[in-house]
Amino acid sequence: MTWTLEARELVVVREGRRILDRASILVRAGEAVAIQGPSGSGKSTFARALATLLEPDAGAVLLGGRDASQIAPTEFRTRVAFLAQQPAMFEGSVVRNLKTGPELHGKSMSDTQASDLIRAVGLDEPILQREARILSGGERQRVALARALANAPEVLLLDEPTAALDPEAGERIVALLRELRARGLSVVMVTHEEAHARALDGTLYRCERGRLAIDS
Amino acid sequence: MSYAHITLPRLLLSLGLIAVAIALSRRSRLGLEGDLLWGAVRGAAQLIAIGYVLLLLFNHEHPAWVVLLLTVMLVVAGATAARRVEHGPPRNVLFPRAIAAIGAGTLVAVLPVFAAVVPLHPWYEARYLVPISGMMLSNAMNVVALVFERIFASARSEADQVEALLALGATPRQALERQVRATLRAALLPTINGLLTVGLVALPGMMTGQIVSGTPPEQAVRYQIVILYQLVAVAAVAGMIAVAFARRLLFTARAQLVLPPN
Repeated sequence: MTWTLEARELVVVREGRRILDRASILVRAGEAVAIQGPSGSGKSTFARALATLLEPDAGAVLLGGRDASQIAPTEFRTRVAFLAQQPAMFEGSVVRNLKTGPELHGKSMSDTQASDLIRAVGLDEPILQREARILSGGERQRVALARALANAPEVLLLDEPTAALDPEAGERIVALLRELRARGLSVVMVTHEEAHARALDGTLYRCERGRLAIDS
Repeated sequence: MSYAHITLPRLLLSLGLIAVAIALSRRSRLGLEGDLLWGAVRGAAQLIAIGYVLLLLFNHEHPAWVVLLLTVMLVVAGATAARRVEHGPPRNVLFPRAIAAIGAGTLVAVLPVFAAVVPLHPWYEARYLVPISGMMLSNAMNVVALVFERIFASARSEADQVEALLALGATPRQALERQVRATLRAALLPTINGLLTVGLVALPGMMTGQIVSGTPPEQAVRYQIVILYQLVAVAAVAGMIAVAFARRLLFTARAQLVLPPN
């Protein structure tokens, strides 16, 4: 069996405190995984370490069986897309935001592709021309998703994607994630909300005091 | 040609100018009286001291002394640029990098000019080497200080943007591009403004000094043009090098953003 993304006994220590304590996870291709835990349990740190945005003090992240330290960060992060809790919008229109990822890698994106992406995250085309920084929280979350999808990642890694949204908008985001998973993407979602963790309808991990365990 | 001598009593008379500023500070309760007085005394003392050092140097011109003096100037410039950088790494981390950026910028501007434009005889001719290098070091110091001050502050305030770009697979260079551009523009602006307004607003110190002490204005102007161009090169090179150092301090080898502790 091939594992898409794996964290092996990640340890993160900050100011003498163990924020992650040998946290491990396996995410198969096309699998949905929710990591649920109270705030301060270390789940956001885990997501950032899994995205290689933070260097763990011990342990390893593997992608397709290869140690992440052997993969160029630019390649790893193109294949594993990470979305922060409140994703920063770049200056300019929504379509400029969508084109950022491909342009970083010397590729271009057509307007048709941009339209397809924005519809895939449940938004209408006119939003493409709007200034990204003035969008609502829910719209930003979707634009950030579309922006990440523009890189054609294998794994979507989301830190609290629903925390800043009202309950309805939050549920719609989870439904969208289920849809994306149905199209073959692996989805890893970190959340403190039990209902959203369950609604993702995949493997459920609990995060407590820096450790991860499968909820059985 | 002769020039009007400034006698010691006349020099003391000029202290009245500081008295004006001190009186204004006291009246507006700025609390700057102490700083102004200390600055006036210290500035005068430093200039008088360098005056004697230069006199000694001109009379006993020896390469070791010239190099020593330039080294002291470089170290002071480095220490000043690395001092009190808010949101930045500690001073001991920035100091050697400031020295390298200021030193390299100055060399780039000074070497070709002394080799081809203002040939020195001998190569350590202090009369040219010291004042011109001093101007370059001072400009480089200001640029490097500005770069350090601004780049660490903007990396912190825009950390979410930088990380969002990294998460999309950007290299550190790409992720910090916007902040770097804004930083370098801000750091080079004073030098560029100097180019645009020279002769219209300010008559530069060196040119003024040369004219006052009897150099034909047309030669003084040529010197000043060369110096202006040197200042531009110094600012650009020192700024770029300082940015490169800052970038290496802000990212790990694995392209992770690490902000210096507050």
